[in-house]
Amino acid sequence: MQLTQRAKHVDRHPMTWIERLYFWNILKGMLITLRHLFKRKATINFPEQKRSFSSVFRGLHVLNRDEEGRERCTACGLCAVACPAEAITMEAAERLPGEEQLYREEKYAAKYEINMLRCIFCGLCEEACPKDAIYLSQTFAPSNYSRKGFIYKKDDMLIPNPLTEPETYKKALGERPAKMIGNQ
Amino acid sequence: MAKVFIDDIEYEVPDGKNMLEVCLSLGFDLTYFCWHPALHSIGACRQCGVINYKDENDKRGRITMACMLPASNGTRISIEAKAAHDFRAGNIESLMLNHPHDCPVCDEGGECHLQDMTLMSGHNYRRYRFKKRTHTNQYLGPFLNHEMNRCIQCYRCVRFYKDYAGGKDLDVFAAHDDIYFGRSEDGVLENEFSGNLVEVCPTGVFTDKTLKQHYTRKWDLTSAPSVCHGCSLGCNILASQRYGTIRRILTRYNGDVNGYFLCDRGRFGYEYTNSKKRIIKALKRVSGTYQPIENGNAFEEVKALMGEGKKVIGIGSPRASLESNFLLKELVGENNFYGGISNTEGNLIKQVIDILKKGKVKTPSLAEAKGYDAVFIVGEDVTNTAPMLALSLRQAAKNKPNEEAFAIRIPLWNDVAIREIVQERTGPFFIATVHHTKLDEISSGSFYGHPDNIARLGHAVAQKINNNLPSVPDADRESASLSSSIAEALLAAKKPLIVSGTSLFSKNVIEAAANVAYALKEQGKDVGLIYTVPEANSVGMTLLSENFVDDAIARVEKERADVLLILENDLYQRIGKKDSEAILKRCNQVVAFENLENETTNSCDYLFPAGTFAESTGTIVNNEGRAQRFYQVHIPRNEVRSSWKWLDILRQDLQTAEAKDFDAIVDELIQKNPELQKIKETAPTADFRIGTQKIPRSPHRFSGRTSMIANINVSEPKPPVDNDSPMSFTMEGYHGIQPSPDTAFYWSPAWNSVQAINKYQIEVGGPLHDGNPGKRLFEPDENRQAKYFNDIPSSFHPSNDELLVLPLYHIYGSEELTALSHAVKERIPQAYIALNENEARRKGLNAEGGKVEFYYQDKKWELSLKIDNSLPDGIAGLPKGLNETSGIGYPFRTKINS
Repeated sequence: MQLTQRAKHVDRHPMTWIERLYFWNILKGMLITLRHLFKRKATINFPEQKRSFSSVFRGLHVLNRDEEGRERCTACGLCAVACPAEAITMEAAERLPGEEQLYREEKYAAKYEINMLRCIFCGLCEEACPKDAIYLSQTFAPSNYSRKGFIYKKDDMLIPNPLTEPETYKKALGERPAKMIGNQ
Repeated sequence: MAKVFIDDIEYEVPDGKNMLEVCLSLGFDLTYFCWHPALHSIGACRQCGVINYKDENDKRGRITMACMLPASNGTRISIEAKAAHDFRAGNIESLMLNHPHDCPVCDEGGECHLQDMTLMSGHNYRRYRFKKRTHTNQYLGPFLNHEMNRCIQCYRCVRFYKDYAGGKDLDVFAAHDDIYFGRSEDGVLENEFSGNLVEVCPTGVFTDKTLKQHYTRKWDLTSAPSVCHGCSLGCNILASQRYGTIRRILTRYNGDVNGYFLCDRGRFGYEYTNSKKRIIKALKRVSGTYQPIENGNAFEEVKALMGEGKKVIGIGSPRASLESNFLLKELVGENNFYGGISNTEGNLIKQVIDILKKGKVKTPSLAEAKGYDAVFIVGEDVTNTAPMLALSLRQAAKNKPNEEAFAIRIPLWNDVAIREIVQERTGPFFIATVHHTKLDEISSGSFYGHPDNIARLGHAVAQKINNNLPSVPDADRESASLSSSIAEALLAAKKPLIVSGTSLFSKNVIEAAANVAYALKEQGKDVGLIYTVPEANSVGMTLLSENFVDDAIARVEKERADVLLILENDLYQRIGKKDSEAILKRCNQVVAFENLENETTNSCDYLFPAGTFAESTGTIVNNEGRAQRFYQVHIPRNEVRSSWKWLDILRQDLQTAEAKDFDAIVDELIQKNPELQKIKETAPTADFRIGTQKIPRSPHRFSGRTSMIANINVSEPKPPVDNDSPMSFTMEGYHGIQPSPDTAFYWSPAWNSVQAINKYQIEVGGPLHDGNPGKRLFEPDENRQAKYFNDIPSSFHPSNDELLVLPLYHIYGSEELTALSHAVKERIPQAYIALNENEARRKGLNAEGGKVEFYYQDKKWELSLKIDNSLPDGIAGLPKGLNETSGIGYPFRTKINS
């Protein structure tokens, strides 16, 4: 009994001697290969060439600054508690008088570490952040000589200061529209 | 019992409650701010609004505050009705108008009652778009941070601070929507219980300043149930750590001991555990300096020192656990073990224990002390020697005037009405001390005198209660009339309470207090008798000790000892320089087990790093004879561990040494000391499981497990296992209502703040689900004939050229370890010598602050003069235990010069 109309009948008759020469089948394969010579290339010359990403691509983390170059992170701990891989840890410190140009609010992260070996790049930290202080950038494929090198410290993630290093800041921002990373 | 209806379901509830208490006890999530189980109702915040129906036919009802609605028979309310819901959400919306949106930087965030209540009420979005009112914050001293913008005007802070704790310098100012809670000007909050504002405040107005130095969210803390080592009361605490350092102390609710509160010494005195002076490695002294030594080698060398035929003696410690003291005693032998305090102090504590054990008067717990209606303090500055007892006594002073309110049927929970009737009045409260103490402000009669005169007053009171007692010879008229009025007041009371202690080092005072209590008991009074003792485990150590340090000195003077083992004890601090040197010089090798570097550790040969309460598990016995278990908070990343672990390995054959677990030690302890049988019952054994699960030390939201130590070790080692308790060091385990001695944090769905404790109690404000932790070792024997002490001292006569020097206590400074904490350090007074004006003038001293010289143990001491006119003639007071005055044995006589 047939359940669907889509079942294909398989021809199981013994091959004739012409068929056993495989001439036609080989030719068919060669033709496919030949056709690809005239098609657009599927590969690019990475890393000289880079692909463009979707605007919601989730790569390595960036700790953001505001338009005045002050760190946005207040070390509230919501990213850490949201992290399903439990890969974020931080220590908060109080901003001292005179540090107002460094930190946006009265607390900041004195230490901020992400274990990139554990991170699954799910983006929940970005979602949890009430201060738009962390976002997942379009940088990916980090490499390192030791496992230790994948424990990213604050310095590894902090975005360059837009006032003092506008060029590198722009580059670090990536191709995301500014409104997506909170710098309205 | 009363029958009430909540959302049309009938419940049987105890009489004399209000509907808010009833709803919370039944497990309903009803929002509230101003109500607090210890502070009762004032109906100020309007947050617990419910619909109250007249009867079953009433379909409309009216909005009433549950906290002001008596749970009488037939009361009908609805929590779920839409009108009630909207009312609560609307109310919180107005409370939140000016509340800043700063949860990410607020220390309270994640354990905020306001966050919990806002979510619970259903108010989700802020509609208010205008400027918020702002306030200036004040500097409130080293303990508390002030952030007035967060205030929602619930008035809990002033109600606790002024009404409950008797503080004077926090108040509420201004009016309308511009109310300000603070001091009249910037300055240190004076009250000894100010730290409780951290927990009392439903939001982040008052937060812990010491936590701010190393801030960690509640969900990231690994905590352990512990017991405060700051004084002899044994208040229950939750000690929390992250990254290997202790971050803060919170109250652990124990309905029998400290209830919801803690004193500031206990709460902020923890920082010494993180001190740079901690000994973290086994050390050996090689040509004058300490060198680290392998543990195994250290064991072997010390063991060799203690070999066959060697004379080894051990000195225990009143701040080390029962288990550590016991193992030291086992290691050196019963006859070679000495309690680590002077003989004077030891004998006083022995006498107190004797009265606890053999007397027929009940020693009430801290919580029970609140229920007495007349108080007589005999020679104890309670606020400074046992602060939380002072808080209990302040509540006891309210009982007598409260009766007036009860007489016109105002229930206890109706705090506004009671306060209206009682005003500032207090019940009978008598104090006999050496100098003016803080509780004098609520006393009905104070007496200042030499300890012998205090004892004479006590004896006179006892004689007036029981005429068969011998009368006090040559009593002066003034104290005779005072003793009559005290005796009268105590006899008129239903439940009189006598408080005394060892702080004046006077046997006579202790005996006089017992006499008063015994006399009252014979009159059929339900009398209580509380003694305070000097340190956290003074009672426990004394129970194990036959002899004390002076006996050890006598012994080594007769015959040199080969090895002296010192357990967590700074001899210089406790017995003074002269005696310490006497004993240290007469021992060939000195081995110390110590937390921090101190004067004693400067002259040892081997040092083993001993754990403080943060790194050890153990049992201590408080002044009431209550044995309580404390658990280690974490296993440190160095060699620090409980002293009993070091001692246990030392006493075993090193080749086959196997670390024994805690329960085995406890079993051995109770087998050798059957009177301590009950310490086994203070907490579940290490093999206790709920289902198959251990009890977690961290909440289930704990973050950063795979990254916390990744900078040290990327490969994520297995978390440490605790073989000494049924608790785990992680978040794995049973997340529900845990056994009360093993509860490491309070959390319940929708209740993230400390008020989640409601869910852990059988009835809100009552005992915990499986009983309050701790076991009393001694119970009074009702049938015993009270044996009076008939030794009445003669009156003290000041001598012309010599002064008698007595210790004066300070909550900050008189305890050796807490005094090392940064915040507490800021509050330690300048060292001084106190005299009254007469006496100062007679010695040719006029100006306060002038230099005064005196001699103690042939050494010249120089301190500045403080005039305290309450001190009697012929007596000088020295602050006990400050850096400048440590190691002095009281009382002593001296001449002073300017």
